[in-house]
Amino acid sequence: MKNTIKVERAILSLTQDDLAKKIGVSRQTINSIEANRYVPSTVLALKLSEVFNKPVNDFFKLTVED
Amino acid sequence: MNKKSLIECERHRIQKLIDFRLPTVFKWWGAILVVIAFVLFFVRNQFPDSAEMIRGIGRKVFIIGLLCISLSRDKEEDEMTIALRAQSYAIAFIIGVLYALIMPYVEFGVSNVVHSGGEAYKDLGDFQLLSFMFLIQLGFYYTLKRFR
Repeated sequence: MKNTIKVERAILSLTQDDLAKKIGVSRQTINSIEANRYVPSTVLALKLSEVFNKPVNDFFKLTVED
Repeated sequence: MNKKSLIECERHRIQKLIDFRLPTVFKWWGAILVVIAFVLFFVRNQFPDSAEMIRGIGRKVFIIGLLCISLSRDKEEDEMTIALRAQSYAIAFIIGVLYALIMPYVEFGVSNVVHSGGEAYKDLGDFQLLSFMFLIQLGFYYTLKRFR
């Protein structure tokens, strides 16, 4: 799975730390999600969707390996 | 209470058990206990009459200290740290089982090579196995956290 969280974050001018605080996780977790090292839970994905005001499908995409 | 609510109650109880974590401060208490255990291991020779008893207490304190460190919540606890902790427990369990199976033969072989005749074959003790598993779990947890 790949994601465009970094782009969405840039659109809202949020740092990793800002976004982490908004959804109640650590900055390292945001970093790992952005680097595709960690796939977040549905709850976290929906929290991100709320922050970006977009459906989850817009910033999380399945890849061929999935 | 009907069957459905009984199952729900049981599930809720199991979830509470799974989610159980000690407060962050217990990390420090655990570290203090581990230090106390090391002190007991070093001073036991000063009291030859009660050396065995001190050793036994030291071992228990050491295991309790490691358990406190292992069970305590992180400062920044989130779903990723929970996932990493679960991974580290799984790794520690698998390595622990392999260690328990292989190590007695290694010890037996080494003791036979070093001293001719060597020692008799003996299984691992609970302290050796538990402390090894805790150390592997903590080591992997902090390594995984560093590389996340």
